Amino acid sequence: MSRAAQNLLLILIGAAVLWITLGSGEYVNYVRPGFRFLLVPAALALLVLGAAGLRREWRTTDHTPEHAHEHGDAPSGDDHGHDHSRGPRTAWLLCLPILAVFLIAPPALGSFTATRDTGRAAPPPTGPAGGFKPLPANGTPVAMSMGEFIGRAWEAQTSDPSRFQGVPVRLTGFVTPAGKGWQITRLKIACCAGDAVPFPVRVRGLPRPPADTWVEVVGIWKPPGPGTKGTSVQELSGRSLKRIKKPKNPYE
Amino acid sequence: MSDHVGLRPAEDDVLPPPDWGRRGPAAPGTRAAWAFAVLAAGLVAGRVWVAPTVGARALDAWATIFVAVCVQALPFLVFGVAVSAAITAFVPPSVWRRVLPHRPGAAVPVAGAMGAVLPGCECASVPVAGGLMARGVAPAAALTFLLAAPAINPIVLVATAVAFPGKPEMVVGRFVASLLVAVLAGWAWLLLGKGEWIRVPSRPHADGTAGRLEAFRQDMRHDLMHAGGFLVVGAAAAAAINVVVPAGWVTAVAGNPVASVLLLALLAVLMSICSEADAFVAASLTQFSTTARLAFLVVGPIVDLKLIALQAGFFGRRFAVRFIPLTFCLAVGVSAVIGGLL
Repeated sequence: MSRAAQNLLLILIGAAVLWITLGSGEYVNYVRPGFRFLLVPAALALLVLGAAGLRREWRTTDHTPEHAHEHGDAPSGDDHGHDHSRGPRTAWLLCLPILAVFLIAPPALGSFTATRDTGRAAPPPTGPAGGFKPLPANGTPVAMSMGEFIGRAWEAQTSDPSRFQGVPVRLTGFVTPAGKGWQITRLKIACCAGDAVPFPVRVRGLPRPPADTWVEVVGIWKPPGPGTKGTSVQELSGRSLKRIKKPKNPYE
Repeated sequence: MSDHVGLRPAEDDVLPPPDWGRRGPAAPGTRAAWAFAVLAAGLVAGRVWVAPTVGARALDAWATIFVAVCVQALPFLVFGVAVSAAITAFVPPSVWRRVLPHRPGAAVPVAGAMGAVLPGCECASVPVAGGLMARGVAPAAALTFLLAAPAINPIVLVATAVAFPGKPEMVVGRFVASLLVAVLAGWAWLLLGKGEWIRVPSRPHADGTAGRLEAFRQDMRHDLMHAGGFLVVGAAAAAAINVVVPAGWVTAVAGNPVASVLLLALLAVLMSICSEADAFVAASLTQFSTTARLAFLVVGPIVDLKLIALQAGFFGRRFAVRFIPLTFCLAVGVSAVIGGLL
């Protein structure tokens, strides 16, 4: 791989990262939103590096002696025992993620990933330090994340059910078929989509929309019957359902 | 690597003669025929075993996870490469020789501790260790630095902490186990190693202050190009494991403590992920126990395919066939013990 190709590749990578963070905003399909503060400086560094290399190429092309100097000097220079000016062939692989970003534009993970992990349930998330705040009891649905719903349901199940029973809540997620019924699901990521863990809640009493549709469901927590395992999927008695557009951040 | 002029004469002594055990180079046509036969066999096998399980949704999920791992690792790779290039370009190697004690036995732990403060990708640490040896540092100490620097430097530890939020024991375990492996390997080489096994690369001293910024730029580009391709391979393999391998199969292996540690140690060798990025891949292997994932993190920066290639190229094959099994066994053993203690 020639030096010009390496520099152009660096610029291409930097531009692709800038595009998915600042341009299209697609990066939330892959990583947590806060990651843009790392991605943007890294992309700028790549752009500067590639541009500096190209500028150097440009200036040395018509000074053959200097050009030869860099060629001859690189193998013996510093601590690298091999030629600096030729990149390895493996570097071409760096084009693959760029091609994927532009040609495939991989969508956010959905029900395929959620149903793959049915064998293991995610551990119920614990609430904030000091426990969950009491919910308002005026009857209007409370919007909450799937994690909070599962955490509160787990808390109610293990201690005092009256704090959560009968409170209408509004959940946002995508549809995952499960057996004859369906679940509303949101994937939780710790860093990137590679470590996604599903947070499912089974919805009772509402017809199943097509898989992967994004929906808002209003309903109340349905306490599990006696003898159910603590880690099984929590249930919701659905009251109403609204189809929505995919939220900006598809993960929790 | 092989086209480096300075390494040629020594390699001729180490390697068997070129006509040893073969019937001369095959004709280009024969090689192409073999390549196509292998390709055809691969395609048939893929059609029979892979195609029925892969749908459009699986491909989408694969692409998403593949891009996600690449995007996630990129800032850490860029930052790590920048710092390592700055150190290579702006810190003269003689400083390190002054810092190290003269007795090799004492120099080994100091070299390990130096690895904790000096960031460096594994691709960078092999040449740096070669440079240290060429400037008179004891090989055992330089090898300890080689093993410690990519595994326990601050950037890698921060990346590990980011990848495992709320699990500081992972960072501590990685630090302790990797440092232990590096120091033990250094001492083992001091006791058992023979000078003739290792080929100390001799290279002329770098030129003076002129063009340091240029050296920095070239180092950074060089390291990015060398590490980036391997990162892409690792991300693709991690995504494939996430999507293609049946969940039941992985769960079965993940349930067996011994098999899961060995499997992830082997995966770390095969995937060859840069140490700045491997914590994110380990975090995505949620099916596996903490000990198995720790083994993945400890083995990865110490033994992997690209390191094997680099070490054989720099220090000779006689070195590589002894040093790599030694470090692999030490890494698996130590991480199993430390993982058990966590």
